[in-house]
Amino acid sequence: MTLLSLLLIGVSLVALVGGQLLLKRAMESTTGRGFAQRTFVISLLAGTLLMATSFFLTLGLLQRFDLSYLYPFQGLSVIFISIAAAVLLRERLTLPLIIGSILITAGVVLVSIS
Amino acid sequence: MPMNSEPRVQSFRFANPWVQVAVSTLCVTISELFLKRGAMATVHVSQQWAWTGLTGLASPLVWIGIIFVVLSFITWLYALRHLPLSRAFPASQAVHVLVPLSSWLVLGERITTIRWCGIALVLAGLALVAKPVATLEEKL
Repeated sequence: MTLLSLLLIGVSLVALVGGQLLLKRAMESTTGRGFAQRTFVISLLAGTLLMATSFFLTLGLLQRFDLSYLYPFQGLSVIFISIAAAVLLRERLTLPLIIGSILITAGVVLVSIS
Repeated sequence: MPMNSEPRVQSFRFANPWVQVAVSTLCVTISELFLKRGAMATVHVSQQWAWTGLTGLASPLVWIGIIFVVLSFITWLYALRHLPLSRAFPASQAVHVLVPLSSWLVLGERITTIRWCGIALVLAGLALVAKPVATLEEKL
């Protein structure tokens, strides 16, 4: 595991979460306002671009690492979502979220040294 | 997509949204297996551009994987039209069991005890956060 690989894993996860949030925003903007409006087009394009970035970075990583090694890192994406919710919505982090995030992080650390 | 067709389509068994969550989860697992195989087949295509993953497109296995990604996406969207995210998302976390298991059974990857322990910890953590995260995501 090089520093570059770790960085690529991180970027691909952030792109995945960002892409999903943008696609969700795009679809939500269509209720009542239809598809011919700026929020929908821009969010859809940006979301698709981020999802594609994440997809190809993961594909590149799969050339070098086991699937059973790489996949557990996806668990970290839920932590990014909690952070996004905390920052964007000023959500309070609940106890199960905090304990769960610690467990996921510990698990990923174990996988990454395996 | 028409928004008023729920009662009609739900009478079919295959149209049951929980069946579609299962189909979506299976499609994700199958797609990961194809993508892994395709990625391995294209390791030697180009060293310079390998990190972008774009070289993987040279393998037909990757294209089959992409078909399954699209299928999983469509079935997931369908399921979400009928189920709240806070119920569908925790169920979809089954991929974190299916992917390591099939990496072991289908790809023959050797998973060390330490990696199994790590996978188990990730699962335990996901079981705890799945519901709160899905609720958060609904608000986002």
